[in-house]
This record gives sequence, C-alpha cells and structure tokens, in this order.
Amino acid sequence: MGKLKKIILVKDTANNKETVRFAELFNSALRDRALDEQAQVVRAADINIYNQGVVVRIMPSDITYVNVNEKDIDMIIRKSIKNNDIVKEILAKPEDKQIRIVLRNCGNVDPENIEDYLAADGYLGLKKVLELDDRDKVIEEIKKSGLRGRGGGGFPTWMKWNFAKEQDNETKFIICNADEGDPGAYMDRSVLEGDPHTVVEGMIIAGFAIGAKKGYFYIRAEYPLAILRVNLALSQAREKGLLGQNILGTDFSFELEIRLGAGAFVCGEETALIASIEGKRGCPVPRPPYPSVIGLWGKPTVINNVETLSSVAPIICKGGDWLAKIGTEKSKGTKVFALTGKIANSSLIEVPMGITFREIVYDIGGGVPDNKNIKAVQTGGPSGGVIPEKFFDTPIDYENLQNLGSIMGSGGMIVMDEDDCMVDIAKFYLKFCVDESCGKCAPCRIGGKQMLDLLTEISEGKGTQEHIEKLKTISHTMQKASLCGLGQTAPNPVMSTLKYFENEYIDHIEHKKCTAGKCESLYEYKVIEEKCRRCGLCKRNCPVDAIVGDKDEGYKIIQEKCIKCGKCYEVCKFEAISRGNN
Amino acid sequence: MKLTIDNFEQESKSGKPKNKNWIKVGLSTCGIAAGADVVFETIQKAVKENKLDVSVFRTGCAGKCYAEPLVEVKAEGVARVVYGGVDKDTAEKIVQKHVMAKQLIDDHIYSIIKEEDNGEA
Ligand SMILES: Cc1cc2nc3c(=O)[nH]c(=O)nc-3n(C[C@H](O)[C@H](O)[C@H](O)COP(=O)(O)O)c2cc1C
Repeated sequence: MGKLKKIILVKDTANNKETVRFAELFNSALRDRALDEQAQVVRAADINIYNQGVVVRIMPSDITYVNVNEKDIDMIIRKSIKNNDIVKEILAKPEDKQIRIVLRNCGNVDPENIEDYLAADGYLGLKKVLELDDRDKVIEEIKKSGLRGRGGGGFPTWMKWNFAKEQDNETKFIICNADEGDPGAYMDRSVLEGDPHTVVEGMIIAGFAIGAKKGYFYIRAEYPLAILRVNLALSQAREKGLLGQNILGTDFSFELEIRLGAGAFVCGEETALIASIEGKRGCPVPRPPYPSVIGLWGKPTVINNVETLSSVAPIICKGGDWLAKIGTEKSKGTKVFALTGKIANSSLIEVPMGITFREIVYDIGGGVPDNKNIKAVQTGGPSGGVIPEKFFDTPIDYENLQNLGSIMGSGGMIVMDEDDCMVDIAKFYLKFCVDESCGKCAPCRIGGKQMLDLLTEISEGKGTQEHIEKLKTISHTMQKASLCGLGQTAPNPVMSTLKYFENEYIDHIEHKKCTAGKCESLYEYKVIEEKCRRCGLCKRNCPVDAIVGDKDEGYKIIQEKCIKCGKCYEVCKFEAISRGNN
Repeated sequence: MKLTIDNFEQESKSGKPKNKNWIKVGLSTCGIAAGADVVFETIQKAVKENKLDVSVFRTGCAGKCYAEPLVEVKAEGVARVVYGGVDKDTAEKIVQKHVMAKQLIDDHIYSIIKEEDNGEA
C-alpha cells in the first residue's frame, strides 16, 4: 500500500455553518488542482482551539493554522499539501496545557483487563520497590517529589507515611479514601473506573513503605461501576501474584479489601471514615492523635486520597525529581479537576500546578457558552469559595487558593456566570453542609442552621445589615470551634461570596433585588404590553397554564399560578417578558 | 502464571494479544450515561456480522465529558481517529465507513492521533 492520504481537518470555532462552507471551499480548491486523490477534507467536531476563527489542521504532518481566511487556502495547498512546508503567518502556537500523570491510562487501557495495564508499564513501580527492598528509600523518593495530599488538605504525603512507618507496631493499615462527596466532583470515580490498577499499585507500595499487611478501599456505595472494577482488579492482581501472599515471589505479603461508604459526606473525613470501617456510626473525633499514630482499630493508619495514591507508581518509576520539576515552588505535580458549570466543554482535566484559571476556563474549557459574562469560579465545593474574574491570572496552588479565601479541595471546579446569584450559591453549599452535619458538635449543628436561616431571609428580601454582621460572627465561631473539617470550612462559601460579591448581598437587602433572577421571592415575570406581538408562544410553552389571554386581547401572567421557571422569558422572541422586582 | 521479580521483564507484557485493528469505546459512568453501552454493543455486533479482524474493547473516561460517547478507531490504511458524540447510527458508520471503506466520518472527529507509522501501512 502506498502513502496515506493527507487529512485536512476543518473547524470554525465560532460557527458550525461556517465549518461546512469552508470545508466545501477547501474541497473544491483541491479538486480544481486535481489533488483530491492525495488529500481529504473532513469537518472536525472539535479541535481544542477556541475563539480563533477557522482552524485548519493537516495530518499526519500535524500542522495547525488558525484564523484562516478563504484567501489562505491557496497558500496552504501550495505549501502544506503539495509539500511539507508551513505558512508561518497563520501557524497556531502549539500548546497542550494538560499533563496526564494520574490520568495517564484513563481512556487508553481496558480497566477490566490487567494485561493492558501491565503493557503500559503497570506494576513496574511495585517491582522496583520490592527489588530495592528499602522502605526509607521509597519514602525518600516521595519526599523528593513534593507530593501533597490531593483529598483537599494538601498535607505532605511522605510525612504521613513516615509517621506511620516510625510507629513500632506489628499491625498497620493503609486506607484509600474514595468517598468523593463534594457536589460536582467526579475525579476519583473516573480514576477508579478508568484505571483501577493504578490505585491498587499505589496502595501496595504505600503498604510496603509503612509496613502494613492490610489495606482498605473505602468507596462510596453510589459508585457501583467503580466497586465492580476495583473488585475485578484485586482478583486479577492476586492471580498474577501482585497481591496476597509473597508478592512477586518476595517475602512481602499484603491484602486489600473493599468497604462501602455509608452514604454520608462526613464519612470522607478521616476519623469518621475510620469509625465507619470499624462498624460504628460515622462521626469524627478530635485530632490529635492523628490516624498515622492511632487509627483504624487503634493501629497506625495512613489515609490517602485516590488521586494521591495514583501518583505514587509514576513517581517511583520516573523518580521524585521528575515530579518536582512540574508545578510551583510549594505545590508540585499535577491536579485533576472536574470542570463543570457554565463552560462550553465540561471535562475532566489534569493540569500542572501553577496554571491559571484563565488558561483552564478559556484554553481548555472553551469559555462560557452563549456569550454570557463569567462571574467566578468555585473550587473546593462546600469547603471552598468563589474566585472572581479579577483573580483569574493567579497561578493555582494550595497557598494561593487559600489566600484568596478558597481551597484547592479535591478538584471540583464550577464556572459561574451572570445568571448565578452569589447569595443563592452560598445558600446551596451551606444547605448541603447543614444536611450533612453529623450533629456531634454544637458550632456546626447549631451554627450551620442559624446561618442558613439568615441566608434564607436575605434571599427572601427580609434581610438587614445586621444579618450580615451575624453571618460573620457565626462563621468565625464555626471556623474556630467546630470539631472537624466539615464545620470548620462550612462558612467558606458564605465568607468568600461576602468578600467578593457584597454588592449582591446589598442588592438583596436594600433594593430587594436579585439581578441574576435566582431568588424566587424577589422577582416576577410580566408581559410588557408595548413589546408583545401576541404570538402566543409564551402561553403554549407555560408548563402550568399560568398565562392567560389570546391574540386579540394580549397575554397576562397570573402570579399566583406562576412557578417562576422562566420558560416564557426564554422562548419570547421579542424580549416582551420582563423579569423584575415585584 | 504468577509474576516474580525475576520473570517480570519477560512475562509482564506477554499476555497482551496484538491486533493491528481495534476499536475502543469509553465505558465509564459518564460514557454510559451518554449511551456508550448501546454504541459498544452496536460496534461489537457489526464487527461480528462482517467477520472483521478487529478487537473491540472498553476503556475508562478520557476526560472529554462533553463529547461522550467517545470511540477511538485504529484500522489499517486509515488515520487513527477519536470520534465523539457517537450514537447508534454513527457507530454503524464507524464500522462500515471508517473500518471497511476507509473513509472518515464528518462532524464527529474530536482528534486524529499522530502515529509514527501513519505514512505507511
Ligand atoms: C467533611 C469532610 C469530607 C471529606 N471528604 C473526603 C473525600 O471524599 N475524599 C478524600 O480523599 N478526602 C476527603 N476529606 C479529607 C480527608 O479527611 C483526608 O484529609 C484525606 O483523605 C487525606 O488524604 P490525602 O492526604 O491523600 O489528601 C474530607 C474531609 C472532610 C472534613
């Protein structure tokens, strides 16, 4: 067989109709020059470049042009189709901002087949560790890498391991925290479902390093596919002699078991998680003592997040220095984020620490859909906060996010636009924490409820300046006096929205206005008679028959029946429905 | 066979059968929610019916949630392509058009993977 055809991928990044037209133009240009045997034009669905007009990519030479005009076609054909030259003026800057370490196999290997993982250098890290047979060297490598906990706290992983290693105890445990409970987060699920062996390998290495013979996966029961695939991975690893007695023929033996999450957010907190595995009610206890000293059944226990453990094997294989080259001074390596909300491309991304929000939102996420104005990005879920657009150029690392009043968190990243009300957002997260509070300590149990009541009053237009003062006082108390991370961080969404979007709170309090149109009590829909063309579209679309009238009389919305779904507002072609103060 | 430190190098990679032609379907929760299980079955069936020498297997989430279901195809004589937003109809086309007729399918291409041996088959 001869050479493959050259492939010309075409995509207009703003307008799909334009893609079709441009592809046709290009095609006829090829035909005119009798080149259609050598090259084929195809329309791409996505090309990972955004807001740069028409993009043309030529494969296999992998040349990409942006902002291409009709008049460039001739030049592209002459230089890059007939030859392998480039047209410098319109060449795209090559940039793939993602680095895949944790997700290196996700989407590549068959998660239900250990042979696939082995073919991708799987368990090579474990082999290296057992060959070396030196716990201190393993921990040293993790120390060099600068790896910090990806479950939210960012505690140096090597230190945890070292504390547990130093404990003089026959029995020790390692636990993988896969209780992923933050709203909007699904990083851990994707890793467990897409590459379970990576986590298993990380667990075995961690077990060896601290001197444990037994480990547990604590997976939330709502992840049935992850549970199935981890179970399969465990039995395949056992069959291959990678788990169980005398791993890889050495005298190191280690077993892994799965425990299902008890269905409460607080069970992701390490001490509550331990209680839950022990068969007790999932309530946290004060630390210290830390689990690495006194943990599961009173024994030294290391608890690590899924993503943390997934980073272990690559560090062992490539060396700690390799990871330490990626990232910022204090935050090394990569972080996986679940990028969701008002974003063109909802996706699971892995980026180097130190990348900016702007790069994530615009270069990877493709920006905000429908030309809406972006307002903020939320990180850290119910324990985190919002970061307004003016800070989008901040390099993302543990310290910077904390200074901005949010946290790195486990990796949820939710983009918010002009249609999101910050009071409503704060209320949403706080409600989550109130529902999930275990009730053991008073600051969290009572403080959360009081704050939620105050926020609800503000959202109903019944707030006063005093509400804000009270919110601040209770926040402070909860942060200082709650027993565990849940209560200590629950006020964060409120404090950070207050810090950056106090004007929205003032709008609700003084002007009884919710500009984003989220706080139901503060607005109503009305037909603007002067603009109405009496087409009847609103009436036909109203799901609760709250719109009355006809083509002669015009239309009216009955407020008592209206459920404020906003359908009429959306469908009206003449902007004749208003959403305003009542 | 159990692996040991000594046999790891020879044995760890011996189990993977190598087929030049394969189709991978992203079958994690996100893919399945978007209909990837139907796509997987459709492709398996079409490959069988046409007696093609193509391995069909599952993978996890590749991260492009907005483009699920994702299908990656490597077939001799055509570029290696990742298709997205695949439904039953496109799944059939992937087998009939891409694998069998060696033509790419418009509007569903999310990326073309550069391979060293792309020039010759
Ligand atoms: C309320 C609450 C929920 C938590 N949920 C999780 C979780 O779902 N997954 C997780 O890895 N860590 C969670 N954590 C953090 C854990 O307590 C712990 O810090 C983490 O598992 C340690 O692992 P790492 O050092 O690898 O990050 C939670 C903490 C709190 C306070």
